[in-house]
Amino acid sequence: MTFIRKNLLLILFFLFILGFSLADILTPDRIFSDTENRYLAQNPKFTLSSLMDNSFGLKYEEYINDQFVGRDNWIDIKSYTEFALAKIENNGITYGKDHYLFEKYQKVDEAKLENNIRYLQEYLAMYNYPKATLAIIPNSYMILNDKVPAGLNNVDQFTYIASIYEKMQENNLTTLDFKTVLQEHKNEYIYYRTDHHWTTYGAYLAYREYALSKGLTPVEYTALEGHDVLDFYGTYYSKTKNFNAVPDVITYFDVPVDSVEIDGSPVDGIYDLKKFEERDKYAAFLRGNNGLTVIRSGQNHNHQDGKTSRVMVIKDSYGNSFVPYLTYNYDEVYVVDLRALPNTMKLLMETDFDDILILYNFMNFTNDVNIAKLRY
Amino acid sequence: MVFSSILFLFRFMPAAFLIYYAVPRRFKNFTLLVLSLIFYSWGEVRYFPIMVASVLVDYIASNGIERNRHSKLRCRLFLLLSVIFNLGMLGFFKYTDFIISNINALFGTTIGLLKLTLPLGISFYTFQTMSYTIDVYRDKVKAERNIIDFGAFVVLFPQLIAGPIVRYTDVSRELKERKVNAAQIQDGIGTFIMGLGSKVLIANNIGSLWTEVESLGFSNISTPLAWLGILAFSLQIYFDFSGYSLMAIGLGKMLGFEFPQNFNYPYISKSMTEFWRRWHMTLGSWFREYLYIPLGGNRVKPARMYFNLFVVWAATGLWHGASWNFVLWGLFFFVLLVIEKTWLLQYLNNSKIFSRVYMIFLLLISWSLFAITDFSQLGLFFTKMFTMQGGTDWMYYLRNYVVVFILAILLSTPILNFWYNKWLYKHKILTIVLIGGILVLSVAYLVDASYNPFLYFRF
Repeated sequence: MTFIRKNLLLILFFLFILGFSLADILTPDRIFSDTENRYLAQNPKFTLSSLMDNSFGLKYEEYINDQFVGRDNWIDIKSYTEFALAKIENNGITYGKDHYLFEKYQKVDEAKLENNIRYLQEYLAMYNYPKATLAIIPNSYMILNDKVPAGLNNVDQFTYIASIYEKMQENNLTTLDFKTVLQEHKNEYIYYRTDHHWTTYGAYLAYREYALSKGLTPVEYTALEGHDVLDFYGTYYSKTKNFNAVPDVITYFDVPVDSVEIDGSPVDGIYDLKKFEERDKYAAFLRGNNGLTVIRSGQNHNHQDGKTSRVMVIKDSYGNSFVPYLTYNYDEVYVVDLRALPNTMKLLMETDFDDILILYNFMNFTNDVNIAKLRY
Repeated sequence: MVFSSILFLFRFMPAAFLIYYAVPRRFKNFTLLVLSLIFYSWGEVRYFPIMVASVLVDYIASNGIERNRHSKLRCRLFLLLSVIFNLGMLGFFKYTDFIISNINALFGTTIGLLKLTLPLGISFYTFQTMSYTIDVYRDKVKAERNIIDFGAFVVLFPQLIAGPIVRYTDVSRELKERKVNAAQIQDGIGTFIMGLGSKVLIANNIGSLWTEVESLGFSNISTPLAWLGILAFSLQIYFDFSGYSLMAIGLGKMLGFEFPQNFNYPYISKSMTEFWRRWHMTLGSWFREYLYIPLGGNRVKPARMYFNLFVVWAATGLWHGASWNFVLWGLFFFVLLVIEKTWLLQYLNNSKIFSRVYMIFLLLISWSLFAITDFSQLGLFFTKMFTMQGGTDWMYYLRNYVVVFILAILLSTPILNFWYNKWLYKHKILTIVLIGGILVLSVAYLVDASYNPFLYFRF
């Protein structure tokens, strides 16, 4: 007994280290982390060359970290500690007022942005079509600026968007600014608290602007049949894991469609309703980010007999909650996500489109390398 | 491999200590040698031969000296072999590109850079082995005949990568016969966890502020944020480096070794003279013993003594990195130490407030010189510090880091340690809860490690 009492720290320490080491070795590896919404590193293959160039060591260390037993709980402990230290951020996400989480975004990769602008210009020069529309969506911290912690100098997206639009003026392109309409409704629920996307209502406001700019009659928001999905913890929450987060509510509307095809195969409806029961609920919209989705509308308010009107939306995930509304104004909606597109744009451009909408949120427009695929 | 990683804590450490404690005493040094070589080679396999060569060269040189005591010439040749080999290795890996880029800048040539990765811990172990051979040459210690014992000393994994600079004379007795008992292991565990906490909970946490200031760009920050940033860096480098030393000392104890202390609350110093007696103590004493004193130390004419000091501080600067800003950093201390030596020191020692203001101000300046390698960036940073630039950015960072700042500042003084020793020490359960808590939190931060650099890693 005296030995135990005298060497309590020693005993506890080795129990802790050996216990967790054993538990870690015995626990099976996970492929995907639901909470972090990403694939975890796997046991790297050992080869002589990977040993010599150090890549094995680095990958193995990453693997051990990602697969450490109780990973999610350890991350929670860190999140609590950060909170106890009165920190107002964790893993690059800052805690704003009214339980809103915001991204810290302090630098634009200017070279990437220049490239993306150039790719877009080259794309526009390649085809002969009715004027395309470019709409860059500001991220939540720009619109909800009075909820952002004081002194956080994030990138001023409005200045950037204005200068991008100016550069694109010479091209065959109209630009659409959502700044005004989103700012007018900033006190409503237009962005999620715990996720980087806009809400279904935020997307509606943007859709309304777009429809009006095309001379189309937007569907009335109140006329839609909606459902609410509760307890949505989004991507920002995945990074901060703050225990006092207030979950979001996702609204989706019954949108009667004739058919939906994803990369050539028919699917049942535009929502993947199962996703609403999982953590990554936003992935229900348009069934996530797929290469080419073709939606045939059953309710186009602007339908003209004998004519099939078509719109193509080149988008990132913000577009997923935006696209459903377009079925009220077009017969066919082609949705392209360059990040997952299996075919080339050339093939797609053989179809006739009445309108083309390029819809990106600002961060993706400046960062996404896949915009280069527009030119092929 | 670094100590502050899941890989070390939950793979290497349990395996290594189980094996080490299990093997009979006469195999312990051999076990230690093999374990240390594995530790060293992890992620740096290519440099394994360099480590082996290091061990062999100094083994041969020291034994050569021992066997040729009668011939001064041969002793000198063996000493020269060790010095040339060690300095040559250090020079080749650490300073070749620096020399080439200086030649290119001076003569407009375009000699290509080698872009070598620096072998882990080379700045530390070349100094250790070199001082060992010098000690043998000076007949202060007998050459080690057993190559396994000698190898175990050179690659001893706790101190291999980032010090403390353990001299052979510090551990020669323990290499032959050391006691490993529960009380000592327990003591080591406590020290190790305190070091781990310093590194993971304090240094990493506050260091991210400086990283952010750097990534914002010095042209985009306000004056208050510039000061806040360099204060964060000053605390980061202290907790990072002293934390690593503590981890090394703790692991050493767990293996049965007593390593020398490396930091003794340097930030409470009243003068730079005192600071360098409290900061990276093993490096300071190394330079004193093997450079300053051989040059003549202070038992020479004043002019020569100032020259000696100049050489020592330029070398100290250059040791910290192959770039001119480090030389400037070293010479900054040279100037201050000379000023203090000639007249200022007596006033500083007798003052409570002025000496602290003087120290904090100059230390922040010195860490700016240390942190920013590019001179035009350094100029920009100083402009920000000394010409008032308004802005609100500091509000965010102050709010975010205020508790961490307070904690780090308190922990860089002996205040909390005083209360710990006076009061908490008697309550065994409470100390275990405290130490255990630090360990659990450190693991949590390591698992969620978005930020875990190690400043002294590439030395």
